[in-house]
Parts: sequence; C-alpha cells; structure tokens
Amino acid sequence: MKGPRNAEERLSRLLVMLPWLMEQGEVPLVEVAARFDLTADQVQQDLELVAMCGLPPFVDEMIDVFVDDGLVFVGVPRLFTRPLRLTAPEGFSLLASGRAAMELPGADRSGPLGRALDKLARALMDAGVEAAGSDDTAGVAIDLSRPEATDELVDAVAAAAELTMLYYSPARDERAERVIVPRHVFVDAGNWYVVADDAKSNERRTFRIDRIDGVTPTGRVIPTNDPVAGPPGFFADAELPHATLRLAPAAQWILDRYPVGEVTPLNRPKGWIEVDVPVANERWLARLLIRLGPDVVVGSPKNAAQQASDLAARMLACY
Amino acid sequence: MTANRVDRVERLTNLLALLLESERPLTLVQITGALAGQYPDVARPRRAAFERDKAALRDIGVPIESERFDDQATYRIDRGAYELADLKLDADETRALQVAVAAVRTDTSAGRDALWKLGGASAGNDSAVSAVLPQRPELPVIRSAVANRATLVFVYRGDRRQLDPWGLLLRGGFWYVVGHDHDRDEKRTFRVDRFDGGVDAIEVGLTGTFIRPDSFDPRDAFPADPKQIGHAPTDGVLAVVRIDATRADAIEREVGSARVLQRHADGSIDVEVPASNIDAFRSWLIGLLDHASVVSPPEIRDQIIDWLTGIVEAAS
Repeated sequence: MKGPRNAEERLSRLLVMLPWLMEQGEVPLVEVAARFDLTADQVQQDLELVAMCGLPPFVDEMIDVFVDDGLVFVGVPRLFTRPLRLTAPEGFSLLASGRAAMELPGADRSGPLGRALDKLARALMDAGVEAAGSDDTAGVAIDLSRPEATDELVDAVAAAAELTMLYYSPARDERAERVIVPRHVFVDAGNWYVVADDAKSNERRTFRIDRIDGVTPTGRVIPTNDPVAGPPGFFADAELPHATLRLAPAAQWILDRYPVGEVTPLNRPKGWIEVDVPVANERWLARLLIRLGPDVVVGSPKNAAQQASDLAARMLACY
Repeated sequence: MTANRVDRVERLTNLLALLLESERPLTLVQITGALAGQYPDVARPRRAAFERDKAALRDIGVPIESERFDDQATYRIDRGAYELADLKLDADETRALQVAVAAVRTDTSAGRDALWKLGGASAGNDSAVSAVLPQRPELPVIRSAVANRATLVFVYRGDRRQLDPWGLLLRGGFWYVVGHDHDRDEKRTFRVDRFDGGVDAIEVGLTGTFIRPDSFDPRDAFPADPKQIGHAPTDGVLAVVRIDATRADAIEREVGSARVLQRHADGSIDVEVPASNIDAFRSWLIGLLDHASVVSPPEIRDQIIDWLTGIVEAAS
C-alpha cells in the first residue's frame, strides 16, 4: 500500500504495527516500512501522529513512540498492546489458504502447518460452541485433486529437470511430443497447470497437466536464473479478441471461470446478462458455445455461431 | 482549536482509546466532551461526524457495542472482544502459515493482514507449487455461521432456503456449502456463487442453534465427480462412451482402468462413466469434441444427438 491511503487503512495498519513495535522495542525505520508494506516516510508520519494521541490527563503519554535517526523507539506500552481480533474475512482467508496449502503436493500434514491450523480453528470458534466430534476441517474443506503426473512435474521443478511429454493441444486438436523444463506448478479453478520452458517455441508456456500423457526425463538438468514465483496473471489481456455473449442464468457460471469484462444486465429475457469474454482461440469459443447450448446467444463475432455449428456437425458425425 | 484541524486518524485513535479505557458505556455528550475540540460544536454535524467515525472503526473490525440507558444511546468496547486472543503459535507454526499464505493466491489482502496480526510477515513464494483460490464475499459469513452453529437464510435461484450450515467445500474450482435444509428436511449442497443478492441478502441466525453430526466431513457429502451429483430419478445412471486413440490415454487415467470395458484394435476404448447429472456429463463429453461418442444407454445417446442437432440448426 504505497499510494495515497485513507484514514481507515492508516489506522488499521497502525493497530497492527504498534503491538509488534512494543515487542521489538527498537527497530530500524526501513525494516518497519518493508514489513508493513509502507514507505519509510509513511511510517514516520503515522507514528509521529499517533504519538500525539491520547486522553486527558495522559495526552502525549499513552502511546510512547518516537522516531530518531532512522530508528523507531517504543517506551512503556500502555495502549494497543495487543492487535485487534481477526475480522471474519481475515480468519476465513488464513484458514482457507492454510487448508489449500495442506492439499498441495509435498505438504506435511502432521507438521507445523497442521498444528497452526488447529490452533487457528479453535480460536475462530465462538466461545460456548462445542465442536461436535472431531472437527478436522473447522468448516472449511478444500479438495485440490490432481492428475497423476502432477507430483512428477513438481519434482522436476525442484530439480530443474528436462522432460519429454506427449501433449494434447486443444487449439490444434492434436497430440504431439514436446520437450519442456518445468518451472512452476499451480492449480486454478479446479485445473492443474505447469509453467515450463518449452524447447520448440523457446518460450515460457503454460500447459494443462490433465492433457499431458507420458512424462519421461531426458536426463538433462537446466537451471534457470529467472524463477517463476507463482501463477501467471490470467492470460487474458487487451490484445486478445473479445466475444460478446448473452447468457441465461444457467450459463452465468462462466463469470467465475473466465476473466470477463463488464457485465450488463438485460431487460429481456429476464435474468439474462451480456458480457465480453476474451477469446484465446476460436475452437475454445466454439466448444464453449456448444456447452452452453440454448443458454447463450452470440452478439459478436458474427461467425462464431457458424463455427460452433460446424464443430457440432463434426461431433454428430460420430453417431 | 477548530474541529477540522484535527487529523481524522488522530480523532479515530483518540475515540478508540477513550472507548477502550472507559470503565463504563459513554454517551455521545460524554465522548465529545472528553475529546474536546475534535468534533464539531453544532449538534447535527457532531452526530454525523461521530456516526462516520463509529462506522469507520466497525469497518476495520472494532467491536463497538451500543446500548440504550435512560433513553440515551451509549457506546462501549469490550476489551476482551477487541483484542486478538493469543493463539500461542510456535515460531515454526507462524512460519508455516507465512509459507501457506505466500503459496496461495487470493484476490484480497485479508490473509496477509491476518498474518501481521499473528506476528508473522508476508513472504515471497519460492515453492515449486501454488494455488489460486476463488474468493467470494459470502464465504467469511458462511464460515462464521458454520463455526457458530448459526442457521442461515438466503435466496438460491429464486427460492428462499433455511440451512444449518455444516461446512464449506472448495471442489473443482467452486465453493459449496453443505448442510441441513429445513424445508426439504434433508442434507443439501448449494453452490455459493449461485446465492441470489450477494452477501447482504444472507441472514445469519443466533449462535448455537443446531448440532452438527459427528465426524461430518464436507468432502464426503457429495461425490467428487460432478457427473454423479444426484438428481434423484436418474441416480446411479452410467453411460458407455467410446474414446478415440487421441484421447484414450488421458481418459483412462481420468476415470481409472477399472472403468475401461473394451479396448479396440484402432486404439479406441469404451469406458463407463457416471451420468446421473446429465448437465455435467454433457459438458464433459463436449470437452472431448469428436474424440468421444455415447454408445449407450439410448436415452442419453439421443439427448446428446438432440443437443448437437440443436446447435447445428440454430446457426442455419
């Protein structure tokens, strides 16, 4: 949060910063700034402000903090010695992230994360509510079932191991052998992906793991000095062409699946909406239209309905 | 000193300090008296400014309680409810939470804020694997209701539902809430993104109004395969699908070798898959394009043919 901040953001940051500072006693200003995602100037300004806060007759004495020569000093703690309780979104987010991490390949279920989540779950139970039986999920369960090849790909990331794989490409509708070096594995919207350096295109590409058949190490190890820190931002960008779709309520689940643009409610038919959807390739759009069937009407591009019809005709030919 | 000279953060901090330190509930007159010069002198703007501050504090999670005494509103903060309970996390447990938050991407900063409160710091993700979690504003409300055993009332695809929520489950990229539906008097599953009216339309009942069954685990509450999510009349329906050589390996891995009924000389296979939920079945089948076709039963084969014919005819 390094831009302009409103009063609520500044106060809530102070309320988490002060108890931490009271435990430390004396900390370099830059360290406080880095830890709480602020600039040094912002930290100094807010700490100097809060040092003047207080109530008669203790104004100026309640929050004993000052900044001098790049160091933050905290004296006798009186007020704000403990952080504010977790809000419902904070509790949920931490619990859900922890549970998700437990479902990732290589997680140690009996290790420190499991113990931390047990403690957190107990703290998030309202006093007076008795947990019924063994409540090992604390109300939040996460299923990240993964294709078989996933664990091998995760190991390959750690080892920087080159692999050959057979990959089914839906864009070309063909299966071909490719040589890759996996750099990161992630799960998004129920699908597992591997981000890898692809020998054929000499680019970093994202592959869906359930489309990978037969992974074989080549024996080569190719370290990178450009590691991948996490999932790529969604592949949708302004450069992709867009389709305008009108969706019945039964088809509106796609809003949660794809990075759609602005949603416009339609007067008729009641409950329908219009959205812009980025289209990475035409075949993907045709398949989506066939899936949605009568619950979608294409506004543009004009040829999309015809392409869906052609593809449906090919599928019909199997019968 | 005039009121608008005071920095808003300073006034909010002072108000918070006052309510935390006070032994008894305070009226607005007592509050603005103690914080002399910080609120406007005129009654109506003073009340408005105080209401704004109260809302701001509640917004960041400060539990301000108001009660009426002798027909006057009074305000207090229960320090026990304000302060974070000590979770007594060991250093390795805090670190494990940091690593978890770094490896799981959400579109909010709530996880990071929670870590800060617990004495942790945000960390970069250097692990080989990570997850993206869909977030919805309804989820914290539902989770609290599960933890507090509070009944929920909400509107789902146009129907009002009353549910004792037993647990939340993320599966296949969607969040579900599983619980006891009062009106149907049975266990039901709802997709959270299909609640009508957003988070404000959810009513949360009193704490401790139901008992959750022993050893309930939402993961077992409905089948992992969406093609099996039951619509009662067709429960247990299986379809036989022929998969051509291009996709045969992948589908055998997906459904398991035990479900392969036949292997043909051209490399294609016949597999048996659940089709109780015809919508999910059709969606799965369409994903395979012309690499798959339904062999049996005839009703399902006909339904797919009708569906595809509908698409072809709509364009002509």
